[in-house]
Amino acid sequence: MTYNETVILNVMINMVAVISMFTLMGLTGIFSMGQASFMCIGAYVAGLLATKTDVPFLFTLIFAVIGGMLFAFVVGIPIMRLRRDYVALITLAFGEAIVAVLNTFSNVTGGAMGINRIPRNINLWIGAGILAIVIYIILNFKDSKFGRQCIAVKNDEISAASMGINVTRIKMTAFILAGGLTALSGAMLAYTTSYIDPNSFGAARSIDWIGIVFIGGINSMSGSIVITLIFSVLSETLRTTSALRTLIQSLIILLIINFVPNGLFGEHEFKDIPKAFRKRMSRLSANARKREKK
Amino acid sequence: MNEPILTSNNVSMTFGGVKAVQNVSLSIERDSITSIIGPNGAGKTTFFNVISGVYKPTGGNVEFDGTDITNLRQHVISHLGMARTFQNIRLFAQLDNVRNVQSALDARADYNIFQAVLGLPKKHRVDKANYVIAMECLDLVGLKDFANDRPSSLPYGMQRKLELARALAADPKLLLLDEPAAGLNPKEVEEFIELIRRIKDIKRLTILLIEHRIKVVTTLSSKVYVLNFGQLLAQGTSEEVQSNPAVIEAYMGEDEEEETVCSK
Repeated sequence: MTYNETVILNVMINMVAVISMFTLMGLTGIFSMGQASFMCIGAYVAGLLATKTDVPFLFTLIFAVIGGMLFAFVVGIPIMRLRRDYVALITLAFGEAIVAVLNTFSNVTGGAMGINRIPRNINLWIGAGILAIVIYIILNFKDSKFGRQCIAVKNDEISAASMGINVTRIKMTAFILAGGLTALSGAMLAYTTSYIDPNSFGAARSIDWIGIVFIGGINSMSGSIVITLIFSVLSETLRTTSALRTLIQSLIILLIINFVPNGLFGEHEFKDIPKAFRKRMSRLSANARKREKK
Repeated sequence: MNEPILTSNNVSMTFGGVKAVQNVSLSIERDSITSIIGPNGAGKTTFFNVISGVYKPTGGNVEFDGTDITNLRQHVISHLGMARTFQNIRLFAQLDNVRNVQSALDARADYNIFQAVLGLPKKHRVDKANYVIAMECLDLVGLKDFANDRPSSLPYGMQRKLELARALAADPKLLLLDEPAAGLNPKEVEEFIELIRRIKDIKRLTILLIEHRIKVVTTLSSKVYVLNFGQLLAQGTSEEVQSNPAVIEAYMGEDEEEETVCSK
């Protein structure tokens, strides 16, 4: 695998992770500060299966997703009944706990040494395929009763419940779906870097994703994807001068917050762009006509 | 013969030391319009919140359509056929108006997560059908032209109608309206009374409303309950209640100075 391939795969991995964060935070309004721990789980499930057993590649991915979903289910049962601010705290604690457990539980997980020599079974096509499937799934999710119920729950839980929406259940659905997808991104990461250790899955990573979803536009998956792309390109091109990179990233964030406070895409997706463009043009021409009349 | 659709037996709700609702027993007949009135802070909205499941009552029980709903959760009660609106309009700000209405139908839509994420035909079929129903509900309250706007772009009176449409989309047997005419001007109130009448005739449902406007209460409701300081003060037809000295005292207070209060 060439260096360039690795870079592009890493961008795709980040996109999958950010899309899962979008489902959780953008659509449902659940702040998961420990979402990176699901990536960690996915990476370890795939890594362990690939190095210690001869389960085929595709199945290790599926097991990673199932592992992430199971963890989300177990953690979600108590968490999803809590208030939002507590959810952020507890997922943060859970995330750090996972890292600590993997660090100390060394005879299976390799401890802080991590897992080495994971076969690099993934390539660009597989990565692109997975990304496409994830995008398809989440776009469908957003445009279904589930997505609309997620937004309703985010906007007003009491009102949503009074309309017959099972609030806890819809939150669980989003949490499990996001957990599975984040774990999938972790599995992709394991196969791309061929080496994983627990310490790269801390809260900082989750917070990065939260930031990306925010500036991309809280209800827009397209926005999350674009911002991920921009930030990844930045961090690659300015790899040697990390101070400059931070400066430029901060500048982008400030500009977006100042000029498009709802995020780069607001609540729109790519498919809305032509429509929005036409709307704006017709408004402009209407304004021009008004001015002529005056 | 005609057993009541909703009965509350000695319902009480306390918050710490505050007794918001105390031993309220009432029954709502099917196919009727009933009003609950009372001065500010009388516990009307708290009572609504108890019967719709937002709060669990600290005493007593509530029976709806033959089911004891005292300890059921909000969405379960909704699925039994009770819908409500809120005093301080609670719409979903990030969904457009038709999707707001559709949310009630989404909660009842019959497809699962796999059909949803894979975009299978059943999902599209159900969603399309629900969209049509949602548009019909919007049409009923006269908001069809605003289907693709956001709730925040609507004036106050229309937001109230939108909330009403959303509640109707749940196809309820009992509709709870919490101060539906608050903030409306006299002309809008007239329209609103007409609208409620029409909806009741079309949908054949029972309506329980909290209201301050005497006009709405007297023209619409066949029975009136008066709450004061969390307790049931009086009940009867609107004429009976209006001439009840205890009610007059509760509304006007004993001081002459406060007479202006009742003028609204």
